[in-house]
Amino acid sequence: MECIFGFTGKDFVMTATDSTVAQSILIVKSTEDKSRALSKRILLLFAGESGDTVQFAEFIQRNVRLYEIRNGVELSTKSAATFTRRELADNLRSRKQYSVNLILAGYDLTTELPSLYQLDYLGSSVSAPFAAHGYAAHFLFSIFDRYHRPDLSLEEAKALMKMCVGELQRRFLVNLSHFTVKVVDKDGIREIAI
Amino acid sequence: MNSILNEFKSTSALCEEELHDSLYDWDTANGFALPTFEFPAVHNLNRFMKDITSASAPCQIEIQHGTTTLAFKFKSGVIVAADSRASQGNYVSTSSVKKIIEINPFLLGTMAGGAADCTFWQRELGRQCRLYELRNKERISVAAASKLLANMIYRYKGMGLSMGTMVTGWDKTGPKIFYVDSDGTRVDGELFSVGSGSPFAYGIIDNGFDFDLDVPSAIDLGKRAIYHATHRDGASGGTVNLYHVKPDGWARIGRWDVEDLHWEFQDQPKPSPINSSVIG
Amino acid sequence: MDSFLPVQVSWTPQTAASGSDFYPYTNNAGTVAGISGGDFCVMAADTRQSFGVGYLINTRYQPKMFKLSNGSVLGTSGFYADGLTLIKRINQRLEWYKHAHDKEMSTPALAQLLSITLYSKRFFPYYARVLLGGLDLEGHGVVYGYDSIGSYEPCLARATGSGGSLIQPFLDNQIYRKTPLGILQAPHTLDQVKAVMRDSFTSATERDIQTGDYLELFIITAQGVDVEKYDLRKD
Repeated sequence: MECIFGFTGKDFVMTATDSTVAQSILIVKSTEDKSRALSKRILLLFAGESGDTVQFAEFIQRNVRLYEIRNGVELSTKSAATFTRRELADNLRSRKQYSVNLILAGYDLTTELPSLYQLDYLGSSVSAPFAAHGYAAHFLFSIFDRYHRPDLSLEEAKALMKMCVGELQRRFLVNLSHFTVKVVDKDGIREIAI
Repeated sequence: MNSILNEFKSTSALCEEELHDSLYDWDTANGFALPTFEFPAVHNLNRFMKDITSASAPCQIEIQHGTTTLAFKFKSGVIVAADSRASQGNYVSTSSVKKIIEINPFLLGTMAGGAADCTFWQRELGRQCRLYELRNKERISVAAASKLLANMIYRYKGMGLSMGTMVTGWDKTGPKIFYVDSDGTRVDGELFSVGSGSPFAYGIIDNGFDFDLDVPSAIDLGKRAIYHATHRDGASGGTVNLYHVKPDGWARIGRWDVEDLHWEFQDQPKPSPINSSVIG
Repeated sequence: MDSFLPVQVSWTPQTAASGSDFYPYTNNAGTVAGISGGDFCVMAADTRQSFGVGYLINTRYQPKMFKLSNGSVLGTSGFYADGLTLIKRINQRLEWYKHAHDKEMSTPALAQLLSITLYSKRFFPYYARVLLGGLDLEGHGVVYGYDSIGSYEPCLARATGSGGSLIQPFLDNQIYRKTPLGILQAPHTLDQVKAVMRDSFTSATERDIQTGDYLELFIITAQGVDVEKYDLRKD
């Protein structure tokens, strides 16, 4: 029932995750951050099997950091996505699998372009202008198809994000009271209010 | 020829190592490693565990279960409370379980799910925290302690461990509560309740809570939440055990038989819903 | 046609589907109980050994309670083979402890050791319900009750095994004195405790098919362990 999604704008990516931690019928927490910063300008959103999500995301986070320390350069968003996908795919062929769905949002200083990757637990990785996992996709893809443009300004993006969250809260059976919205751009990653 | 010889050599070396392990693993001086377990020679351990604990098995291995536990932060620290019933199926196996586990003088853990799982791993956590203290000359933070526990548990994910626990304490960053369970979930928060009676306890705390509660009122709230949970949840009962976490460690506040609480609360007037504070 | 012969209930574990029908347990049942007093502890067990779910009595006299080298008493019911293995393992650990520390292990320490020994087989449990009785460091009687994977607790009076759920409420009433009027815990003499224990087993034998034949009482005091044997119904 988790919702994670995001879309690119003119020179940024905007992402959202629901903030709910649930155990069967119970909401355990409603202000959880379901993302990890892989580097200054790469954000990893995750949803899936509890336990697996954080373990895998932090594993990727530490290894991306290790790469930076060893080589003195930051990974591009594409490289981070490729690395993450490969780890997931290798792990899929082991005795016990992580079941984690991911969205990778980044801004590259070299190309001065935002990019967004959608990865699933089976090891697929797609670069896309917008992405959503789980039930959120059913509600949001039509909105993205109708309203999303690659040259969205920040104000327009905020309005689009509001539409998305509004639609989920209006039409989705599951009560997701709070969403964490973040922007990734040349200045880094920051949480914003919409 | 050489390769065959090497193969033979390495096998015998392994045997020696195994022999050494089996001879010396009783020695506590060798006890810095994580615990090890014996496993049945089956392909699907998960299935085996389900088989032996299933109600239709001729020799059902029944594990003690059932609980209401809660912990919440307020202005003077953390209140931790729990009931004391342990059941095996429909049988109440004991009514005097200590579900609040004293990990060390500054850390408390709570027990929900398998009783043995919780006590064993929190005892192990206590040992690890002590080792951390000796190595680093300072106390471990609640965040780090809870992560040690979560990581230990995560190694056994899907193998049948059952525990829902709150690790609470007061460190340099102030009062802290972490919810850790056998799925591998670990989240920090202000208020948690775990166990079969937790929805009932949440009903009381969510609607009677105020961060600025004074200590006696906070104790009363925790006590009442557990009482109401034992009243509606068959798997909870016995006594309420309650602790208060303060900057200088935890203090055991008391223990009340829920039967006594029932008669005490029965005659009291019910508060007006208008003045109660509701958590948003 | 129904023949009224006892039928072995066949039960195939789910693992059979995946090419293995590994189920290394049977239930030899029996009842074990313990009551602790001010300076003594009385442990009791019947001596019947049954076989699984087939109503078969293997033997009328196979003790399931054992005196350990440190003066504690360990009773097991459930799967007898697992119980025996557990006893062997505990006895060996007690001996190693003696050689390493030049003293006997205390009963509270043994209680914790037993817990982690049971837990070391968390993923392949001993099918044994065990009860440990002895004297604590101050010389007071203690009984420790366990589940099969090592959750344990000291208690005043405890019964476990096939007749455990019949005896425990009686002990709650007689020893803990849990009554509608509240808990009226009275001090007990050794003779009173022995009488309660004998009554418990006589009654459990009436209603539990896997309990009976003989009752063994292990009386633990500072002077050592006395064993007394009594008859129970043999039907």
